[in-house]
Amino acid sequence: MTAFNDFLRAVRAPLGAITLTLLLGFLLVMMITDQPVLAYRDLLLANFDSWSNFGLFLNRAMPLALIAIGITFAFRAGVFNVGGEGQLFAGAITTTMLGVALAGLPPVLLFPIVIIGGIAAGAFLGWIPGVLKVKLGVDEVVVTLMLNTIVLLFTSYLVNQVIRDTAAYGAVSQLVPKEIWLPSLPGVPKASSGILAAVVLAVVSWVVLFRTKWGAELRAAGTNLRYAEAIGIAAGRRVIGAMLVAGGCAGLAGALYVLGIGHRFEQNFSPDYGLVALTCALLARIHPIGALFTALFYALMLNGAAYMQISTDVPRSLVDLLTGLLVLLMTARVVISRRKA
Amino acid sequence: MTDPQNILELSGIAKTFGDKVALKSIDLAVRRGEVHVICGENGAGKSTLMNILVGIHKPSGGQIRFNGQQVQISDPIAASRLGIGMVHQHFTLVPSMSVAENLFLGRHPKKFGLFSDRQAMVDRARALIEAYNFGLDPQAAISSLSVGQRQRVEILKALAFDAELLILDEPTAVLTPPEVEELLKIIATLRERGRTVLFITHKLREVKAVSDRVTVIRHGESVSIHNTADVSEADIARDMVGRDVFLVGRKGDVERSFGDAVLKLNGVTRTNAAGRRLLDAVSLEVRAGEVLGIAGVDGNGQTELAEVIAGLSTMQAGNIWFDGADISDMTVAERQALGLGFVPEDRLDRGISKTMSVAENVAATNYERANILRRGFVSSARLAEFAAEKIKEFDVRGAKPKTPIGTLSGGNMQKVVIARELEREPRLLLVSQPTRGLDIGASEFVYDRILASANAGRGVLLISSELSEIFALSDRIAVIYSGRIMAILDRADADEVTVGALMNGAGKEAA
Ligand SMILES: Nc1ncnc2c1ncn2[C@@H]1O[C@H](COP(=O)(O)OP(=O)(O)OP(=O)(O)O)[C@@H](O)[C@H]1O
Ligand SMILES: [Mg+2]
Repeated sequence: MTAFNDFLRAVRAPLGAITLTLLLGFLLVMMITDQPVLAYRDLLLANFDSWSNFGLFLNRAMPLALIAIGITFAFRAGVFNVGGEGQLFAGAITTTMLGVALAGLPPVLLFPIVIIGGIAAGAFLGWIPGVLKVKLGVDEVVVTLMLNTIVLLFTSYLVNQVIRDTAAYGAVSQLVPKEIWLPSLPGVPKASSGILAAVVLAVVSWVVLFRTKWGAELRAAGTNLRYAEAIGIAAGRRVIGAMLVAGGCAGLAGALYVLGIGHRFEQNFSPDYGLVALTCALLARIHPIGALFTALFYALMLNGAAYMQISTDVPRSLVDLLTGLLVLLMTARVVISRRKA
Repeated sequence: MTDPQNILELSGIAKTFGDKVALKSIDLAVRRGEVHVICGENGAGKSTLMNILVGIHKPSGGQIRFNGQQVQISDPIAASRLGIGMVHQHFTLVPSMSVAENLFLGRHPKKFGLFSDRQAMVDRARALIEAYNFGLDPQAAISSLSVGQRQRVEILKALAFDAELLILDEPTAVLTPPEVEELLKIIATLRERGRTVLFITHKLREVKAVSDRVTVIRHGESVSIHNTADVSEADIARDMVGRDVFLVGRKGDVERSFGDAVLKLNGVTRTNAAGRRLLDAVSLEVRAGEVLGIAGVDGNGQTELAEVIAGLSTMQAGNIWFDGADISDMTVAERQALGLGFVPEDRLDRGISKTMSVAENVAATNYERANILRRGFVSSARLAEFAAEKIKEFDVRGAKPKTPIGTLSGGNMQKVVIARELEREPRLLLVSQPTRGLDIGASEFVYDRILASANAGRGVLLISSELSEIFALSDRIAVIYSGRIMAILDRADADEVTVGALMNGAGKEAA
């Protein structure tokens, strides 16, 4: 019961802001097009027109949700992790490399190896800024941003020079063995079952963060480091732990993308998932279950905008505008509630 | 009821935060030109009331009349226009800026109505400083000033805009005894110049020393108003708490026996980056059943001493033993596991996490001990139950288990910290400034707890800049000055004069 109330409290704020954004957005759309209702219908509902659209929507949501859930750990521990993109790429490329290189192994062995490999690669990328912050006081924003660039360039090298599929067009790797592809979601042929991992992890993360001692210590370190130290929490270890989880989640997103959606590494597979997921996590007020929902909402808008652009003359960049509005409204809400206090 | 003598009249002021009632009904009449003290327990609503007067909070009910006019105070600027200035409990100065810049922050004198006129600003600041004889350099950076000096800047800042009514929220809590004397003199000067001063303090001695009248509030209601001259400290305390209070500390003649040393420091030395010795070969021991008080003026190494013992900072030389085991290289957690309890001097800094709930703060180190874990997971029912027990036992006002601890009044946060540390029944309790900002009833409670710990055979190391507290609780008194232990005296051999002199470095050569 209290858990349910907590949950309600966590989703109430983003839901309000989202509704208001959509209303204001509608006014904007009315100015651009003479078919505002159609435009909005496509933006919001075209995702449900067919199972195939719905599947694509879930596929879009999966990496967003996983990265955003990971980011909640980092933020709760007081680390501003903007390295989601790099961690995602590290996971995707590692899974692909392992899958291609060890293609001969039996699938029961290969599958866990590539998944763990992807998670470990992402976690390693989270570990670097974590350790640098704890041991040397290096600013994590700078480190994660730089790592993003490094990883993106490195994957580009790998996919072009090492595992390139020369028969295919563009910077894509060879396919991973079909035996380790993720099955699709029962009943939704286009949807990878990876989204289930996101749902499960959202709940698990909530439990870990709010119902374990480790989670409480992590949040103590994130809210007041000097307090955490004084009560004997190994605060540095918690910070690094949180970054391992954050990186691991993003790495898992990359692994599941490769196994369930792309079946190979594509250099341009991410429409900046890392950054969008950051927004999702913030809008969800750094709550893992909330993050699942904001990720679904963003996926809805990202895909919906594409349908909208096809059927009306509203450009898909409307989404960027709505995003801006949403962020504005969320922050404005915070200020208002502070005033009241 | 308007009386032309009164500069400020409040009637029926109420304030609720959500469903929490902070103020029920406050009536207050402040006469022009008087020093009026507001007394009340922690969480009684004093700060909330003052914040209403300067427009930070809006009242949920009641009327404010200022200079005979009914007014609405919508924000701090409106308050300063009316002539109400406030010095907050926590300083609001910009450390990197000069005194003059801080005084006129956002209101610089302008040249050609556009550019800020630095010379005019410095001149006006100097004139203001001289007018009140504050002895400050208008061009000194705030960061180079002592706490007492900073407070004077805060006062000037409030006065710079001709505040007729000056509000001071617990101004003496952070000051050293000589600084307190200075402040009391300043308040007397302000009164001579016709200003009205509203003053919040928990120290009844100060009430008697400076005020003309005193209003007591309890649980958000004003319960009494007295001419200070007509009442005793005990009368005020009784009004505040609703019963008789005795801050007596240790009852004299009981024969006390001590065990072996629980904590022993030998030659503990800590230097800062510049090589200055913050702790200079400190040696002392605390025996089981004993309270060792560390007396000293703030800033003479007390903070460093506590941190070194707690394991929060390293030392360059020396050893620390706990129950005979060398703990010099142990982590904070290992020391706590051996039985060290630590109440830090500044609760907001190291004592609590403001945004986390009361329950999570009080349970933080007690998950196993208090049976809060069920198969490795936190049982939220058990957590709430444990927190509710502690809230009741330690009489934490205005708190439910889920309340973010940052919304409690200062004294009530302190009770949570003490509840958490005592739950472990530590073999040695290290307490720094345990009653800073606490009301007299809460202080009495904390005193009882400290003495009960000692009577139960535990050691207590009490660090306090409050001499009366040291004398009330200690079996032996160590005096610290400039990082050195000047002397360790038996309570029976110590008197305030000797200790006071040692605190100021007397006999430095001998030691
Ligand atoms: N922003 C807030 N939200 C919720 N409750 C609050 C808030 N501010 C104060 N309170 C509550 O109002 C009550 C009065 O608090 P206030 O800070 O005025 O006490 P006080 O008399 O100044 O105590 P102290 O002597 O400890 O400073 C307390 O119960 C406190 O928890
Ligand atoms: Mg207060």
